[in-house]
Amino acid sequence: MNLRQKLLLLFSLTVALAVAAVAWTVLVRIKLVFEQRDRDETALVVSQFQREFQHRSDEVAAAVDHIASRERVRSMAMELAQTGDASPYLSEAQTLAQEAQLDFLEIVGPDGNVVSSAQWPARFGYPEPAATKTSAAFLKREELPDGTAALGLFGVRAVKVSEGSEPAVRLIGGKRLDQSFLADLPVAPGMQVCLYNDDYSSKQSAAQESLASFDPTRLICATGVLANATHYESLIDSARKSGQTSSGILYLTDRREDSVNATAIPLKSGEGAVLAVLMVTVSRSGMVEAQQHIRAIAYGVAAGGILLAIALSLWIAARVSRPIERLASAAEEVAGGNWEARVAERGRDEVGVLARSFNHMTGQLVAQRERLVQTERVAAWRELARRLAHELKNPLFPLQLTVENLVRARELPEAEFDEVFRESTATLAMEIANLKTIIGRFSDFSKMPKPELERIDARDVVERVRSLYEPASAVADSGNAGGSEAAKIRFEVELAAEPMPLDADPELLHRALSNLVLNAMDAMPKGGTLTVSARPKGEIVELRVADTGEGITPEECERLFTPYYTTKEHGTGLGLAIVQSVVADHHGTIAVESRPGAGVTFVISLPRAQEEKS
Amino acid sequence: MNRDPTPSASSGQAPATKTKTWREGGTLCILIALAMPVEARTRPHYGGTLRVEIEGDAWTQNVPGTGGLGSPTARRLVFDGLTRVDADGTVRPALAIRWASEENDHRWQFWLRPGVHFEDSSPLTAAVVVASLTGLCGTDCPWTAVRLVGASIVFTSDSPMPNLPALLAGDDFLIVHPRSVDANAAAQPASPTGFMVGTGAFEPTGFSNGVLTLTANDSCWEGRPFLDKIVITGHKAIRDQWLDLSLGRTDVVEVPAEQLREAHEKRLNVVASGPVSLLALAVADGGVLADPNLRAAIALAVDRSSLSNVIFQKQGEITGSLLPSALTGYGFLFPADRDVNKAHELRGGLTPPSLTISTDDPGAAMQLATQRLALNLREAGFNVQVIGRTYQRANIVLLRLTLQSNQPQAAIESLLRGLGVASPVIESTPAGLYKVEREFLQTHTLVPLLYLPRAYAVGGRVRDFSLSADGMPLLAGASLQDVP
Repeated sequence: MNLRQKLLLLFSLTVALAVAAVAWTVLVRIKLVFEQRDRDETALVVSQFQREFQHRSDEVAAAVDHIASRERVRSMAMELAQTGDASPYLSEAQTLAQEAQLDFLEIVGPDGNVVSSAQWPARFGYPEPAATKTSAAFLKREELPDGTAALGLFGVRAVKVSEGSEPAVRLIGGKRLDQSFLADLPVAPGMQVCLYNDDYSSKQSAAQESLASFDPTRLICATGVLANATHYESLIDSARKSGQTSSGILYLTDRREDSVNATAIPLKSGEGAVLAVLMVTVSRSGMVEAQQHIRAIAYGVAAGGILLAIALSLWIAARVSRPIERLASAAEEVAGGNWEARVAERGRDEVGVLARSFNHMTGQLVAQRERLVQTERVAAWRELARRLAHELKNPLFPLQLTVENLVRARELPEAEFDEVFRESTATLAMEIANLKTIIGRFSDFSKMPKPELERIDARDVVERVRSLYEPASAVADSGNAGGSEAAKIRFEVELAAEPMPLDADPELLHRALSNLVLNAMDAMPKGGTLTVSARPKGEIVELRVADTGEGITPEECERLFTPYYTTKEHGTGLGLAIVQSVVADHHGTIAVESRPGAGVTFVISLPRAQEEKS
Repeated sequence: MNRDPTPSASSGQAPATKTKTWREGGTLCILIALAMPVEARTRPHYGGTLRVEIEGDAWTQNVPGTGGLGSPTARRLVFDGLTRVDADGTVRPALAIRWASEENDHRWQFWLRPGVHFEDSSPLTAAVVVASLTGLCGTDCPWTAVRLVGASIVFTSDSPMPNLPALLAGDDFLIVHPRSVDANAAAQPASPTGFMVGTGAFEPTGFSNGVLTLTANDSCWEGRPFLDKIVITGHKAIRDQWLDLSLGRTDVVEVPAEQLREAHEKRLNVVASGPVSLLALAVADGGVLADPNLRAAIALAVDRSSLSNVIFQKQGEITGSLLPSALTGYGFLFPADRDVNKAHELRGGLTPPSLTISTDDPGAAMQLATQRLALNLREAGFNVQVIGRTYQRANIVLLRLTLQSNQPQAAIESLLRGLGVASPVIESTPAGLYKVEREFLQTHTLVPLLYLPRAYAVGGRVRDFSLSADGMPLLAGASLQDVP
């Protein structure tokens, strides 16, 4: 991962986290605000509904009042007070209830017994405890002829024959709290009003009522029985048991929008017993959808922000990293040898300073290199001059002595002169030949030819060298048979079995290998083992020439390939330089391995021919 | 005492006598003058159409339990029995002119009235009567065999039939032309009008939309009725009937017992019978009520007074016996008071599974009475539910039985036959009658509650409207006043 990617990642993560944090904060805040608003709205709606419910109670009380004020009822009260005969009024309650559109109406006589009942006509003569109630409106569970009981909203009124007298009759009228009652209630959009009515039989005690388990079929709404009534069980049970209003959010399905703010309002009798639970629910779908809409917008904005941040990060990273990348590239070029590499110098910031410093540094490097080259060139010339002087001085001194000897020999007799002359001319000729040889070597070094590459086998090169020098080593060995053991050189060749193709100039390669073999032979004046080997090593072919001589020091190893450097008494120091030049022309490398007393091994690594590989 | 002469009157006796003579003479003339048009009004007029409205069906054919003779109102007009019972309970000849019993009432012989023809002009013969009786009552007859002997019909039975003449006056034994019965069974018209054929004063000539038209039978053996036609409209609510009567759109309407007081208050011209309808609870003697104590508890739990005083508006006669006291004189021997504590005691700790109570009568008062009885029984610790008329018989059923005869023996035999109980031999003495009734009621399978009258309100133009012994209107003898 490069700097730009790192910067990009860093910037993107930073911005994304920042945007996400902001978005989360905004969403949480919005959620809190919406929920608070939702609670407020629900409370308002429930409050309105409770007022409406109270209004219905007042309507029932007013309807009973209206019946009580009718002349017909007053006449009935008068008749009852006078005769006590209730039989003519058996169906009176039904008629009055029908006219007043009441579901329940009972006419109770002064003795507290029912005179006429609209909801249960056969109940005449039985006592009605609710007749003694004084509250304007109350809830009551009314028993019905079929054995069930219905919850109703009731009002009771006393009808007196005269002021100050005991009530002749009492009217207990009411409306049934059922599906039609719920359907008739005004509800806000998204609001639903349901009623949970246990419908206990009259013989059940209050304790039994409280223990009755939740029955989903008893939760009725304006549209009928609720399909998913079990979701309301906890709230309803809470309201039934505590007698207090319970509210909460109910999730009807896995979808959040299918949730409601539910409020369970216990409906109590005058004695405080919970007769039913009114469940007011307000759908949260609008709120959830709005919330989801805002969340979607927030996510969109966040995503856009993140994308924009990434783009900006990309731009910033590019802007920040580009000079550094150029600096890195220039540094790589410098490392690769191109000291001429330069970077653009922009701005006055640290990167600009770095660029200027880099350029200054490379400039200094180039200048130093030039100075070094100049110095090395001067040193080389000095070394060359010294070597030339040394090489030329050696033959010139005998030449000078010989010439001086000839001059002195003119004083000698002719015979002696002639002998001196012959010896001197011979010496002169030999020394001149020696000079020519020295000059030829220098000439050869300066005239290294370009290699003419062809496909050859490394084994052939080694075999050619062995065929040339193995006999010579054997001759030298036999020539020194009576001499010292140092002259014993054993020539060994180690070759791989498979072909080792090379694209090389066979003559130059032979010449280089021959140089190394000759050096090895020179390094073993007391004899030893000369080993020439060739083996494939991956993509290269490795040629080794090893001797068992005294070896060289690491310092000598470092300078071994320097031209005109030699460890031999009569060496020119050009042999290994020529070998290195040949190996370099074949895109190979040459290395030397040596330890004092363990001989020297030259390792030539040449690239293996490609076609052969395929 | 006011007629005692005063001493001061003797001084002026002659003028006083003269004045008195003139006064008496004038009064006589006025009475004669007034009596002449009254005499004219009492003479019935022929013609006119009498309109009757009823709650039930005007005409139903082949209804089980009715003998296939149409609605109760119409059947007496179309069909005759061998005998008939007068309002005072006397059995009178009808299609039979005389009868005689032999072999200690095991054999009865009835001689037919000669010259009687059916409405389709076919003669009434002994063979036809035998076929009619056999076809209508089938195997559920009080006799073992019926056969003709010359022009007479002979009934024989393994057990004595002392009340056979009275029984033959009942609706179940009206004589129908056998061809009518067979034709109705085959769903083919028995007469050109498609109705069953009888020998009554009227013959049905039309029935559509619940309205039955009966036309006078000119060749009736009793003579032509005064009315030309009687139109009976069925399925009319009581309130609508009364409204129609007050508007002059009908002449005869029904007055349920529970509305008798209201009818009087509305000043309707009401004609009511004596106690002829018995309200009783039929209690199943099997299943959960196999225990006679439970049935006795039920009998003690019912509150007859509330039924009579409130639901039936004091028009009912509380009874603990099958027959009304007016008929037997021993009704007081059967307790009719409510005793909830005793009912609880008899019920003991037993809690029978949910009992059901219902009534076959769709009338509002009967439904209300059923609910009230359920309430009574709940108060006595029974778990009772009121159910509607379902295919499944309830454990307790509120029945309305009709007393078809004024003769106690015949009445009780008829009631028991109606309940599907084999009629025992009933002695003609009150003690024997009481014994039979007591033995039956001790099973507590029937709990008598009330006797109710049957009543009708008639319009001002109807004359000679009367009721039979069982409270049914005798329209055949009625006439209309304003017929031109």
